[in-house]
Amino acid sequence: MKFEHCIRCTICVENCPVFSVEPKFPGPKQAGPDAQRFRMDGEVSVDSWVLFCNQCKRCETVCPYGVDVSEIILKAQIKYVEEHGRSIANYMFANTYNIGILASAFAPIVNKIINTHLVKNIMRVIGISTYIPFPRYHAFTLSKGRRKAGKGSKKVVFFYGCYLNFNRPDIGRKIRSILVSMGLEVITPHQVCCGLPALGNGDLDSARRFANKNAGILVHYINRGYDVVYACTSCGLTLVRDYPGIMTLPDGKKISENTYNVHEYILNLMEEGYVNPEFGPVDMRIAYHIPCHLRSLGIGYPAARLFEMIPDLQYQVLDDNCCGLSGTYGFKEKNKDVSVKLGKLATLPILEYAPDAIASDCGACRMQLGGLTGISTIDPSEIIFRSLNMSLSVFGGKKNISAGGQDDKGDD
Amino acid sequence: MYDVVIIGGGLSGLMASIWLADRGKKTALISKGDPMCCLSTGCIDVFGGTSSPLKGIEKPPRGHPYHFVGLEGIRDSLNFFKKIMAGSGLNYIGDIETNRGILTPLGTIKATCLVPQTMEAAYTGADEYIHIVSFKGLKDFYPAYITSKNENAGYSVFDAGISTTIGLATRFEDTTFRREFVAKLKSWEIPNGRIAMPAVLGLSSSVEIMEAISKELDRKIFEIPTLPPSIPGIRLFRRLKYTLQQKGGDIYWGRDIASVERSDTQIEAVTIVTGSRPTRVEGRAFVLATGSFVSGGLYALRESVYETVFNLPVIFPKKRAKWFNEDFFDIGHPIEKAGIRVDRSFRPRHANLENLFVCGSILAFSDIMKYGCGNGMAIATGVAAAKSLDRWLG
Repeated sequence: MKFEHCIRCTICVENCPVFSVEPKFPGPKQAGPDAQRFRMDGEVSVDSWVLFCNQCKRCETVCPYGVDVSEIILKAQIKYVEEHGRSIANYMFANTYNIGILASAFAPIVNKIINTHLVKNIMRVIGISTYIPFPRYHAFTLSKGRRKAGKGSKKVVFFYGCYLNFNRPDIGRKIRSILVSMGLEVITPHQVCCGLPALGNGDLDSARRFANKNAGILVHYINRGYDVVYACTSCGLTLVRDYPGIMTLPDGKKISENTYNVHEYILNLMEEGYVNPEFGPVDMRIAYHIPCHLRSLGIGYPAARLFEMIPDLQYQVLDDNCCGLSGTYGFKEKNKDVSVKLGKLATLPILEYAPDAIASDCGACRMQLGGLTGISTIDPSEIIFRSLNMSLSVFGGKKNISAGGQDDKGDD
Repeated sequence: MYDVVIIGGGLSGLMASIWLADRGKKTALISKGDPMCCLSTGCIDVFGGTSSPLKGIEKPPRGHPYHFVGLEGIRDSLNFFKKIMAGSGLNYIGDIETNRGILTPLGTIKATCLVPQTMEAAYTGADEYIHIVSFKGLKDFYPAYITSKNENAGYSVFDAGISTTIGLATRFEDTTFRREFVAKLKSWEIPNGRIAMPAVLGLSSSVEIMEAISKELDRKIFEIPTLPPSIPGIRLFRRLKYTLQQKGGDIYWGRDIASVERSDTQIEAVTIVTGSRPTRVEGRAFVLATGSFVSGGLYALRESVYETVFNLPVIFPKKRAKWFNEDFFDIGHPIEKAGIRVDRSFRPRHANLENLFVCGSILAFSDIMKYGCGNGMAIATGVAAAKSLDRWLG
């Protein structure tokens, strides 16, 4: 829906995390539909406050009239950055994928120095915040692993996303083995960044470049009867919403129609009677922080529906707070205050619930909430992996990697 | 496959969902966006204009939804509402026997039935000094309006560094901020009496925050509802949503219904759209709680009105010239009677559907403005429709 459909009811304002802590941000109603009335194509943008929006998309999810509030703001952000120039941090974060390739190639060295005082000081100088430790990089990324696993009449392509690839390949391998255990053929093709970090840093051209590359790969498989399965909810939202939307990819609609959240896919398989997994007990108390972009996908909370079937698992869904990190947003020094304030608010209901671990589908949410609370974090898929009593040995390694063996927090 | 699919995430849809989930039914709630109750005062108006809602409930003409719920049904539903809110830490005070007065930002007294505990000590006409504490830069809240109408009142302004209701409510969740606030108030040496504040005392722990400040200052405190963004409205909505999640209800956010599958006498499934891919949501029974015009449940064309999800028959004044009274402020415009007519089981009339139940402000003849019955009717019909549905499902 266009900005004209806004009736100024302020429900988006009530739900904007940034607006609740940052007086300089006038809120989604004003930054979006209201200001849009005054934006002309030929005029230079003047409102630097549009950059405060962290693109959590809550405004869009709650709008009773379906106004694309965050997309209006995103377009204003892209225009502003194009006209006023990018910061070094913008350049770096638009290219987290390329940085990931470099960092994982030199992982042992990078992990040693990335959280040292010297590197942190340099980072701050170029506008990168360091209040939570940087994640560790892995040399043996998913992109370097095997391409094909499992057999079955149903076939899927696994879109793992940068964070699992470079920082938590163990989770990626667990997800793959869950899918294989469900009788699926799983292809893990070569792929690049979904494009969201570039979009979020005002670089639509780079975002399109990434997206086009992925589209070629994904469509190749979709045409051969594969479904696309993603784990990261922000990558997922980009594939489903932004490829056909703001990035206007010719194949966007096709990708969007054939792309599923991994837990949503498992539930569908169960509903069709394709699989009937036996969930074993997992004796844990979990605060399940819902990433904003999972809310925004509009598929409900599929992992929570799987949690319901796991004996002994206690969990609480928490979906009223944005963690504040918002991908690369909180890693920018100028957004640090907003990010920390929001992060602390998000930790309140978690601390009240006193969980053994914080679960979230989003690596950035886990980094932030784990970093701020010191509580260990877990991907919902790791809980399912544990419930199915699986180990990673099917992939050649003899070692049993326990689900809590690694964490999203870096070394500080 | 769900037992029940509820369409509309407002007060009525949420109450129906919670009641059914409480009965062990597997429920899915589909909501197009956040509901209008977020914009409300958070108070539950059952029937305005009389000293007791009980005296008013029988007044509206026969078609009014209250007559289908019945007095005991209304009483039960309000008790059920109070019970779930008490369990969630956002206590509601009051009962169906009395209308209470709350102070409005205009300095007038508004009659309502159930109020959040944070408004319990609201001004009720007693001759006690009221001191209003407002916040620097806060829009749409002018204490001078109140003091101009109430001689025994005064005000001060606190600079919180942020000037929006939502920003202030967020601040109040922080204990350090609260300490500074209390210290400042103590230094002002406010005359004896009650303290009134715009409703910004926290987002989730309002009762605790109010009690803590009240204890520190050793006097009664109450909140005055504000214009939207209305914090008591958000608290109400979030608590109900949280309760539903705790009872195992699934919620689909921000999604419109794209299509409906129906057989001769039943709704089989609805389809919602995610990105470009449809998601089919199947249910044994359905609840329609999409609200009236402002919420998008009803849509007005130049000369007609239609229902947006199932295209059910809608009752409305046939001639557009008859939709409105001459005087805008003459409450009770005929168009406010528009809506879906239901039978005593809350099934839509003349639709030949046995598994669809309708509740909330989309119901015909509800005339909410005229009778001052918005949130009360949403709760009463939500629970009543849920009960009827439950009897049918067995």
